[in-house]
Amino acid sequence: MKIPLTITVNGERYDLEIKPNRTLLDLLREDLGLTGTKKGCGLGECGSCTVLLDGEPVKSCLILALQANGKEVLTIEGLGKGKPDPLQIAFVEKGAVQCGFCTPGMIMTAKALLNKNPQPNDLEIKEAIAGNLCRCTGYNKIVEAIKSCAASTKR
Amino acid sequence: MSEFDIVNKSYPQIDGLNKATGKTEFVSDLVLPNMLYGRVLRSPYAHARIDHIDISKAKSLRGVKAVITYDDTPRIKFGPRSEDWTILADGKVRFYGDEVAAVAAVDEDIAEEALDLIKVEYTELPAVFDPVEAMKPDAPLVHENKENNLAAEFKIEAGDVDQDLKNSYFVYKDRFYTNQVYQAYLEPMGALASVDLSGRITLWTGTQIPNMMRITYAKALGISLDKLRVIVPDYGGGFGAKMENNVHLITIVLAQKAGQPVKLINTRFDDFVGGNPRVAMYIDIKLGVTKDGFITGKDVHIVGTNGARTVYAPVIVATACYRPDSLYRFKSVRAIGHTVYTNTVPTSCFRGFGNSQMTFVLESALDMIAEELNIDPAELRLKNGIGENEVSIHGWKITSNGLKDCVLLATKKANWNQKRKKRKFFRGIGLACCNHVSGNRAFAREFDGGAGIVRIGRDGNVTVYYGESDMGQGQKTVFAQIVAERLGVPLDIITVEQVDTDISPFGMGSFATRGTLMGGNGVLKAAEDAFKQLAAVAADMLQAPPDEVECKKGKFFLKSSPQKSVSFKEVAEMATFKRAGAPVVGVGFYKPPTELPDPKTKYGNISPAYPFGCHIAEVEVDPDTGQITVTDYVAANDIGRAINPMAVEGQIQGGVAQGLGWTLMENMALDDKGKLINPDFLDYVIPCVMDVPEIKPILVEPVDPEGPYGAKGIGEPALNPVMAAITNAIYNATGIRIKELPITAEKMLKKLKEMKNKIK
Ligand code: FES
Ligand code: FES
Repeated sequence: MKIPLTITVNGERYDLEIKPNRTLLDLLREDLGLTGTKKGCGLGECGSCTVLLDGEPVKSCLILALQANGKEVLTIEGLGKGKPDPLQIAFVEKGAVQCGFCTPGMIMTAKALLNKNPQPNDLEIKEAIAGNLCRCTGYNKIVEAIKSCAASTKR
Repeated sequence: MSEFDIVNKSYPQIDGLNKATGKTEFVSDLVLPNMLYGRVLRSPYAHARIDHIDISKAKSLRGVKAVITYDDTPRIKFGPRSEDWTILADGKVRFYGDEVAAVAAVDEDIAEEALDLIKVEYTELPAVFDPVEAMKPDAPLVHENKENNLAAEFKIEAGDVDQDLKNSYFVYKDRFYTNQVYQAYLEPMGALASVDLSGRITLWTGTQIPNMMRITYAKALGISLDKLRVIVPDYGGGFGAKMENNVHLITIVLAQKAGQPVKLINTRFDDFVGGNPRVAMYIDIKLGVTKDGFITGKDVHIVGTNGARTVYAPVIVATACYRPDSLYRFKSVRAIGHTVYTNTVPTSCFRGFGNSQMTFVLESALDMIAEELNIDPAELRLKNGIGENEVSIHGWKITSNGLKDCVLLATKKANWNQKRKKRKFFRGIGLACCNHVSGNRAFAREFDGGAGIVRIGRDGNVTVYYGESDMGQGQKTVFAQIVAERLGVPLDIITVEQVDTDISPFGMGSFATRGTLMGGNGVLKAAEDAFKQLAAVAADMLQAPPDEVECKKGKFFLKSSPQKSVSFKEVAEMATFKRAGAPVVGVGFYKPPTELPDPKTKYGNISPAYPFGCHIAEVEVDPDTGQITVTDYVAANDIGRAINPMAVEGQIQGGVAQGLGWTLMENMALDDKGKLINPDFLDYVIPCVMDVPEIKPILVEPVDPEGPYGAKGIGEPALNPVMAAITNAIYNATGIRIKELPITAEKMLKKLKEMKNKIK
């Protein structure tokens, strides 16, 4: 049985029919081909699937696509208007990207933080990304990258 | 100012923006037309006979395109080191998670549903999980033909250990245990396989050893090598784990059976129970010293967990037996290593490759010795540390060596002297050193070295082909920097192609901290070849002899009159015209001056260069909860000349965080039936941002005579000293030495209570 779903992803509206057990993550990756959002665990434990749902960071593997009915989703592909978001540039330039598998989720989480709190301190940054695992970088450069964007909003 | 334009400078990863914008296609992102999804049915028992498998229901489920068991595989025994593998279980399962059957279906839900429909009847058998238990005469056998469950024995001896220990002023004796931990790369293992009309297979997978894997897999499939092509797209981390694994072969067999491409990516659960985690080891050590702190002899016995089949555990145990013998000036050493079959998941490589286990033990022992002799631990290391241009007890030719500088700079930065003197309650500081290799002649199977291809087309763009593997550490960027420097062109005209066994050089792969040195030298030699070809054309254009031309920043010019120049692009174009369209292709290789160790004595020179390091950790222990916090961390690593200092820092910080997780948090825990009880990130906790302090890297850069532009490797020595640096700091804080990893808050609290009771 398939159920109709209306969803806006990265500004584009989709009218779809989906299985009710489809997660938002699988909808994005499998049905819409937006593979920038990653699946590191499928259990809500790694943060690599983080997207913004009506501006709030969510682990898309824990959300049913139907729960996003009528809502707006922003994924890593939709970040920045035509050019990369300052966070994306900062992550690259500060060496916060190694394998890059955690990066989209990490950046989306950071984006939500900066939207709410444009000048977070170190602890606020760390608290925000505490649910996003990275096995490559040891986090130092990730915090640095986010911090550099906070400073630039100030200016 | 640096003498270089591109190397020895921090550049972001050349493909970093693709990763940060979600454009990079990782293995799990790949899609082919008509692609199916695969899933594996795994054993719920640690040891059992398979009496019957019924796949009929699964097969008839709508959307299922293939269901396979052992009988559908080529039924060949194979393995990278020991032929104790089969694709899917042959009548018996030997660990919780062993592969029993697999399905391919049109979507993941159906594949999952089909797994539930496969009915397997088992008869449970007695099982053994601990390697020491498994060696006992009455232990159940994991493989009927492997007596005492012994997978391998390794022996090494140099000098007269018994005599030296007898004559020592003090001998430290103890037993340590290093536990089994999981690499926890963020992208699970998996593959995409497709079979063409001729039966030729293409396998896309994240692998550290594309070429060696291809050899193992061709054997497993009973096909000739040319029938298998391996392509390595970007992938989300490896840390040693991503080598041979049945999941890839299962994907291939499913694709053959279904006649459609199949993608099979482990769920996180599958990856925990069917991956290849670190070799757990019991390590007994005796370490002697003279009264004034000179190390005499070292006697070691190791028992390591192989798991139910052999991946690389025997070589890892062997490495633990002797690698740190080239860190200090030992008079004599002896080690015996037993690698033992158990009914547990097969173990394999994890950053450090056995050296990390033994470094933990050796550096803990030295800390105790320093206390016994009342010598500063840093001084003890300086006193015994091997020097530049020395030959170690096993014949390793140490050339560049920054060990001493690592100790001096780390202690200075950490304010070691002052902090060691001013003791604070439940705060401590500890230090540990390490050595490592940049390539391991004893591990590389047929030869060691690296090769590259550098292609320049009419448009003047440069494409580099290499044969190692970028698992995310930034190898492609480092190789691009090396090539750009040698050609004299800007970095942004360089593309580094993914490894494809149809096109790329036959690289040994990414392990043994060898990528930068071996692969880097390979592409450097290729760039040199391409440069010579282009220089000849440029010389013609500039009407000068070829050795008169130089290229910098994308311009060929005359050394004597730099204003006479012609652009790199123009030269590339002219070269193509002159050669009727043939691109300039530079090919080159590097063969290291290593010596294969003597099979009996193991005397030889296994690597062309040896990195070193010294790390200092500061900890705080909460006396009420036992919680240990690493508050500060200084990591000095001798890496030769850093090709990309920022990337090196990232390697160091990542390695330290992994070591921290191992030391304080991570453990693969089994129940009494051998079932992994924490196969997810909720229960198997790896460090999050809150657990990791600021890690201050210090780059010590002695120019290495063999390294490309003087570079050595960094991957593994970033982690090797971490466990002992932290545990030595805990000892400094509490006077408690816990010899079994990990040192969880619970363990610590128990010891703190015991100590309190003693004092009362
Ligand atoms: S994939 Fe969603 S949290 Fe890991
Ligand atoms: S960069 Fe690899 S997991 Fe974060």
